Amino acid sequence: MLVMIELELRRLKHDRTEIYSRAIQPILWIVVYGPIMGGVKAIPTGDIPYTDFITPGVLIQSTTFVSIFYGLTIVWERESGILKKLLVTPASRYATVIGRSMASGVRAIFQALIIVPVALLIGVKFVLNPLYFVSSLFIIFLASGGFAAISIFVASFMKTRERFMGIGQAIIMPLFFASNALYPVKIMPPLLQEFALVNPMSYVVDAVRSLMITGDLSNLPLDLVAIAIFDLVMFVIASISFRKIIE
Amino acid sequence: MELAVEARSLVKVYDGRIKALDGVDLKVEMGKVFALLGPNGAGKTTLMRILTTQLKPTSGEAFVFNFDVVHHGSEIRRIVSYIPQEMSVWTDISGYENLLIYAKIYGIDSGSREKAIEEVLRSMDMEGVKDNLVRTYSGGMVRRLEIACALLAKPKILFLDEPTIGLDPSARKAVWEKLTSFKKDFEATVFFNTHYMDEADLYSDEIAIINKGKLVKLGSSEELKHSVGGEVIVFGINGNDVGEDVLEAVRSSSLVKDVIFHNSELSVVVENAEIALPSIIDILKGKGVPAKKISMTKPTLDDVFLKYAGTRLDTIGRISEVTQVRRMIRRG
Ligand SMILES: Nc1ncnc2c1ncn2[C@@H]1O[C@H](COP(=O)(O)OP(=O)(O)O)[C@@H](O)[C@H]1O
Ligand SMILES: [Mg+2]
Repeated sequence: MLVMIELELRRLKHDRTEIYSRAIQPILWIVVYGPIMGGVKAIPTGDIPYTDFITPGVLIQSTTFVSIFYGLTIVWERESGILKKLLVTPASRYATVIGRSMASGVRAIFQALIIVPVALLIGVKFVLNPLYFVSSLFIIFLASGGFAAISIFVASFMKTRERFMGIGQAIIMPLFFASNALYPVKIMPPLLQEFALVNPMSYVVDAVRSLMITGDLSNLPLDLVAIAIFDLVMFVIASISFRKIIE
Repeated sequence: MELAVEARSLVKVYDGRIKALDGVDLKVEMGKVFALLGPNGAGKTTLMRILTTQLKPTSGEAFVFNFDVVHHGSEIRRIVSYIPQEMSVWTDISGYENLLIYAKIYGIDSGSREKAIEEVLRSMDMEGVKDNLVRTYSGGMVRRLEIACALLAKPKILFLDEPTIGLDPSARKAVWEKLTSFKKDFEATVFFNTHYMDEADLYSDEIAIINKGKLVKLGSSEELKHSVGGEVIVFGINGNDVGEDVLEAVRSSSLVKDVIFHNSELSVVVENAEIALPSIIDILKGKGVPAKKISMTKPTLDDVFLKYAGTRLDTIGRISEVTQVRRMIRRG
């Protein structure tokens, strides 16, 4: 399992362009969209500035992108023979799936570490507690595992990368807009509110927001339970569909 | 003699429709180099994937070193190495890093890891390029790296699916030299799939010919050629058809053992070509069949294949497969 994380770190060492280019979009949200929408004061975010409010949301959206597109790597590995070969090693198949999913967390954390300094630079006020910050990275790591597992599941019935690209977008955008990433849940239409309730991204954003921005941890236990359930369910589904990827 | 591989009435049906294996019975003795020879789509990959516990057979049984592939998969995975037809290394890291990752996957402990990696790098002649990205390797180097990765596990049996597909002749030769010396050093069994007759001919102790999911013939290269029964005279025929009556007439000659017509070529198997030739020419003349050109050969595996499968090993599928593999390596 750990060896898959090591593999990811080694890949990153050789080539980081993808991480940089993926950081552009979230940075635009924080640098352009945040201040403009904050200026018109259209969205009630309590006493925190709007840009601060959306920073965790945008951060999570971008790390989720990273994890979901991680499935691409797996589709690629199926087209090449790597997956077939991995299946014939003594390593357990479950460890392989979980290891692959967790490796995406490594990428996600690197992604976060690029976006956070930019947010700091334009004046987003983070909770200045290293423990909180590290905890929020840990939550990003855990959540990425679950989202990567979704992508393994999707990859199991996508035959080509091209198709996977489209599906990836179609998963992330609804999750993003129907969550509390850009606005509080309570201003959404009722139907969307219900969706936001079962949307894993809402819980991840909420947890990271409380650790990074508000410092109000009252919802954190609930968020953590939700993320744990999400991970567990997705790991099981991904492990089952992993077989299908191979055949 | 202990058996490395055994299959009994193995059948594999994909999606309830495609019968990839149609009752395969097979025995491979320990320590042998075994070649599974057949054209594209014959079922070679399917058989290998069942033996390496990736796929479950639809019916029948298979054993690797007496472990059942269905019920004792994890025991089998501990003693085999497998190199798929496609690429099985990561191209965005170096060769050395690939070996390191696989060494960890195989559970080689940290004390002996460096030494094991150095050893396989040396035996595959790759010390000079170990720190380059795999993306920059040639096809032959990629294959050698894959073999190096497979050797790390010190397998009792090595499964190779089309080990030299898409390589130029000199790279093919280099790959086989390495494989042969590995085999000598480790006394391992080697099981490989190929559609190159010369490879099966040169490097294997035993050959099974597979066509349309069935093993059509088994034996050493010598035995197989012998079973064709003598020498082959090939007549290039103008026009595409030779009637059944012509084949019958040739076959009825006492000097002729077998006759096959395929692709404007009439292959006649005889004991001694020099003696039989004049009388066969007479028969063809009598039937009004003009022979454009005539050649005489000792039987090759191609003739063996023609005899038992009724067709020559085709090259059409091969070319498209090669370009596919190439494309994948480029895309890296
Ligand atoms: N995963 C699969 N699903 C469906 N059909 C398959 C699959 N793999 C192979 N086949 C079919 O099974 C037959 C045998 O294929 P294969 O074992 O790959 O042959 P070979 O390796 O000798 O070229 C072919 O007709 C092929 O199209
Ligand atoms: Mg094949």
